Amino acid sequence: MSDHHDDHHDHHNPGFIQKYIFSTDHKMIGIQYGITALLFLLFGFYLMMVMRWSIAYPTEPLPAWMSWLFTEDWKAQWLSEGKLPGETYNMFGAMHGTIMVFLGIVPLGFGAFGNYVTPLQIGAPDMAFPKLNMMSYWIYLLGGLMMCGSFFLESGAAKSGWTNYPPLSFFADSQYPHQFWTGQTQWLIGLVLLITSSLLGSVNFITTIINLRAKGLTWMRLPFLVWAMLVTAFLLLLAFPPLEVAGIMQVVDRMFGSSFFQPSGLYHQQIGLSDASGGGSPLLYQHLFWFLGHPEVYVLLLPAIACVAEIIPVNTRRPIWGYKSMVYGVLVLGFLSFIVWAHHMYMTGMGPAVSAFFQTTTTLISIPSVILLTCLLISLWGGSIKFTPPMLWACAFLPMFGIGGLTGLPLAFNLVDLHLHDTYYVIGHFHYVVAPGILFGFFAGIHHWFPKLTGRYMSRTLNHLHFWPSLILMNTLFFPMLIQGMAGFHRRWYNGGDAYLTADPDSVNVFGKTVAEYIDLNIMMSWSAWLLCAAQIPFVINLFGSIKFGRKTNSDNPWNACSLEWATPTPPGHGNFIEEPVAYRGSYEYARPEVEEDFYPQWKKPVTDENKED
Amino acid sequence: MADSPEEIKKHVKLYMLIGVILFICTVLTVAVAKIEWLDFGARGFDAIDMVIGLLIASVKATLVALIFMHLNHEKKMIYWLFGMGIFFGICLMVITGFAFSDPIYYEDFFGR
Amino acid sequence: MEIPYIVEPRKDTGLNNSKIAIWLFLASEVMLFGGLFSGYVFLRIYADYPWPERTLPVLPGLINTFVLIGSSITVVFAWVALKLREWRKFQIYMSITLICAALFMVLKGVEYNAKFGHQAIRLDDYTVIEGHAYPQEEGGDKKITKNLNIQAEQIQIDLKRVDDKYYETMGAQYGEHFVLAEDLTLNSKTKYEKGTAISKELIDAAKKDFIDALANNSNVNIAVARQASKDAGNQPELDGKRYYDKDRKDFIAKRTKELKAEQEDNYQNITPALTFIAKEGAVDISVNPRWGKLSNPKEGEKGTLKLKDETLISGTTADSSITMRVDGIDFRHTVMKAVEKGIDPEAAINNSWLLKDQSMKLIWDKHLVFVDKLQNYLDEHDKEPTDLDLYRITWQEIAGLMDKDIEDLEKMDHHEIAALFPGDIEGFAGANHTRVHYPKINVPREQVRFEAVFSPRWNTYYATYFTITGLHGLHVIGGAIVLGYYLFFGRKMYDANPEWLANRVEVGGLFWHFVDLVWIFLFPILYLM
Repeated sequence: MSDHHDDHHDHHNPGFIQKYIFSTDHKMIGIQYGITALLFLLFGFYLMMVMRWSIAYPTEPLPAWMSWLFTEDWKAQWLSEGKLPGETYNMFGAMHGTIMVFLGIVPLGFGAFGNYVTPLQIGAPDMAFPKLNMMSYWIYLLGGLMMCGSFFLESGAAKSGWTNYPPLSFFADSQYPHQFWTGQTQWLIGLVLLITSSLLGSVNFITTIINLRAKGLTWMRLPFLVWAMLVTAFLLLLAFPPLEVAGIMQVVDRMFGSSFFQPSGLYHQQIGLSDASGGGSPLLYQHLFWFLGHPEVYVLLLPAIACVAEIIPVNTRRPIWGYKSMVYGVLVLGFLSFIVWAHHMYMTGMGPAVSAFFQTTTTLISIPSVILLTCLLISLWGGSIKFTPPMLWACAFLPMFGIGGLTGLPLAFNLVDLHLHDTYYVIGHFHYVVAPGILFGFFAGIHHWFPKLTGRYMSRTLNHLHFWPSLILMNTLFFPMLIQGMAGFHRRWYNGGDAYLTADPDSVNVFGKTVAEYIDLNIMMSWSAWLLCAAQIPFVINLFGSIKFGRKTNSDNPWNACSLEWATPTPPGHGNFIEEPVAYRGSYEYARPEVEEDFYPQWKKPVTDENKED
Repeated sequence: MADSPEEIKKHVKLYMLIGVILFICTVLTVAVAKIEWLDFGARGFDAIDMVIGLLIASVKATLVALIFMHLNHEKKMIYWLFGMGIFFGICLMVITGFAFSDPIYYEDFFGR
Repeated sequence: MEIPYIVEPRKDTGLNNSKIAIWLFLASEVMLFGGLFSGYVFLRIYADYPWPERTLPVLPGLINTFVLIGSSITVVFAWVALKLREWRKFQIYMSITLICAALFMVLKGVEYNAKFGHQAIRLDDYTVIEGHAYPQEEGGDKKITKNLNIQAEQIQIDLKRVDDKYYETMGAQYGEHFVLAEDLTLNSKTKYEKGTAISKELIDAAKKDFIDALANNSNVNIAVARQASKDAGNQPELDGKRYYDKDRKDFIAKRTKELKAEQEDNYQNITPALTFIAKEGAVDISVNPRWGKLSNPKEGEKGTLKLKDETLISGTTADSSITMRVDGIDFRHTVMKAVEKGIDPEAAINNSWLLKDQSMKLIWDKHLVFVDKLQNYLDEHDKEPTDLDLYRITWQEIAGLMDKDIEDLEKMDHHEIAALFPGDIEGFAGANHTRVHYPKINVPREQVRFEAVFSPRWNTYYATYFTITGLHGLHVIGGAIVLGYYLFFGRKMYDANPEWLANRVEVGGLFWHFVDLVWIFLFPILYLM
């Protein structure tokens, strides 16, 4: 760094805008990603709370604390007598899914943790292409704002589910003459922008990981997080372009009237015979969508499981169990995730040959997932576990993700899927994976790396206030979904089953009676959701309060961890490391006999016999 | 990687040759499609024409990739990176193409 | 620390950063075009209409292939020149590359332009005719022929959905001819008498009033509903009863009714739609077919024209026919449908609406003669004519045989007739209407099943063609911008470290080759298959 001091004047004293807004520093970009993603998550959560009102109390108007965000005109257009009509519910549902997946979890995991931690862990001064990194953040923000801004358009936001299946999405908003300024088109263009941003990001990540590793940091010495980010980046790189294509095709369908996804003779009850040439197929869209959609699941999951894999060894003070099998597991997982996509499409009328193929690969992919989880579980065995805040979250992650994963197995078989498809069972399954699973992993990560960002710990008390209610409420929220789903509750009922219910015990409507039996679970779930929101308040206070008032750390390596990010000053300056780091050993060297302490950091020169004598 | 100027000079002729081959292949593709006595198989476009057309295109593409894009002497890492793209691209194309395929409905499936 | 390996390669991987990045990017590009090609494969395999096979003029595509391959060679030479530190040569080769890129885009533009000016109609019996659409009265009033026309007597405007863009365009036609059918009193006490002419101000005011009233009433309703459910909560006998319980439902319904009656003064009038009638006799209204639908396309019969913004124009359907100069006829879809229904294809064609027209019938008869000769010729070579031979009449055939008598044709053999067809240069990017006056036909609207120019709208083949070549064109432009940057602004980089610029040009060149590589596949797939 000091060699080039003269060439790079004012590199170290950038102005406010360059430092905090148009920053090219991976750490600042990581923080930007993190805060933006958390805000989007909050907004997505809000949409869901409104939806849960309509599910629990379909005949009652929204309470004032829920509808305060809506303007008068908006209420007039999108609420009917204060209640959520089906169309508005669909809009909220579609945007809830989109925001949570594309604008919340992916940027939080890959964007925030990936950007902040990966270069530090491989001992790199920054990402390989800092400007590209900045660009991918801004494109992401633009795409996200386009999607969310469409709530204020005349047409409202997108309303065809987060998957945006045609021909449903083709008819939605098709009546507006300015096709560009409709929620559906904005959604598609926003999506294309988000994918572009992810592509730039993933090119950057892979290049950084391949080429910018510190001296001595060989492939098998990499922390598991770096491996997970590498695989995630490959998934983004190769799985996202087909959806980008599908998005572009849908834009062409909408704006230039083509029929990529419109079959011949398409008819709509209100609009009549569609004014399109026909000859296309909705199945094509589903193929292109789910080619992204399944790897996307692992894009969500891998960063979270990686955070947990970093936290468990630190807090058990012993090496991670089966590091190599985890690495190979994650590689196999990445590979297989490309060829399982059509298990989302058993009900589309695909041929049985294709179904059988995907059934096989889908059951195969559970093997590497189980390997990862098992390794993490066994890592706990015999360790001296310290229940620090990150460890609490990490420990909760394991069973929660376990439930999420195991409830997915039945869905892999197309016979079982016939019954469970599109029911609350599916919702329960993937929410178990994403909410108490992945999000818990991220909370763990936030607590774990917060001292590196600020030099202060986050509060333990507030964390308990956040953790325990969250853990309980997540389960009271999502477990009833599994039960309802098996009873046949459809995932898109905007009134929670009210329309199907039969209160009369003598009725011959068997399904109506089943609905009546399980409908009251809705109330418990909805209250869980609203209380869950309240349970996040300690977290917000903790996150922002600890920056100023948190307990100070006493060293650059407060957790006594081994990986390279703890060798930097706190917080790391521009260029990260003061002197070029060298990795002498693997990143989980705890409880080694060579050294006195119970950890042997990667960057410490080996203790040779001569050194010992000194 | 041919980095020294002498080696690069040697390659100039190769590049010219490849260019000429590419031009010839292009003319050949059109000839096979347009000229009647070069039309193999049944009259008009059929499976054989498709195979021939794609074969010539693949030869051309391979030449461009190997010589112009220097894939004939590239690092192993690049083969992995690019190869994955090609592999999954083909996966997508093939599986999507078989979307409705349903062997039990084929008449001769049970040996009838 | 500074970021390493920007120019020089890392030892263990042997690569510098940008080299890895560009190959990763190319891998994702493979997936991008892979997705598009899968779309093409899927749509073609499962197409339920006859695929437009070998339908594009080959010559522009062929020239473009040459142009792109040429530019690929020059970009390699530009890189070689940099490696040998010959700046002048680099400039020359790179300039040629950019000229090639421009030429490619110009040719693409010529092709696109020809397509966008070329009309196609799928008739009710699935016959497809292609050609150029002309104004109904040639030379005179240049009214665009494709429009839907109606003699309007009444217009109903939906205030919630009324669209400014539609109104601005249609307003000129409405003019002063339409007046309010009823008195209109807004909640703001503004009054519009019966007979007030239609105007933007009137509609805007009414719309604003409507939305305000809606918001106001919805607020009152929300308050009422909240009060009702609060009251239900306070009823001891409703304790523990869920919202779907009949007693509770009845109570809330009753209570809501009471509360609404109490609030009666707070409600405002809602006028959701305005009706206008023609002041003096019916008025001609002409609408772009993409904007609305005729309920009854038959000329001279009563019907309505419903725009997409729910504006309802009622009256008598006027002449909405399309006049075309026909340069292509295709019966393949008719035959396909006939075979599906088990009808004899010959009969289906002979009964088709198109062949009732004498000039079309003549073309078809000549075609039959040609097919006959072709059959004889193919019999000698043990080959079968294809569906394209049998049921499709190309512009070459129409142009070549237009001035010939059937008797003369019958005397010729297959090769002599084929020699009459104009060559590829004659119609570089499709049929040339300035040289040949193709036969004219008037297609009434009720015969039109679907019409479009040769745009993505016409069928999935053209949709794929335009999307793939369009994206490919964007790549050409993007690549040209990058290479152009090195050409015009690369000198500084070259002076600082020539190897740096050489590396960058290599990376840009890799992208350029990839674009060429995609075209190598696109050309046979789209033009020759």
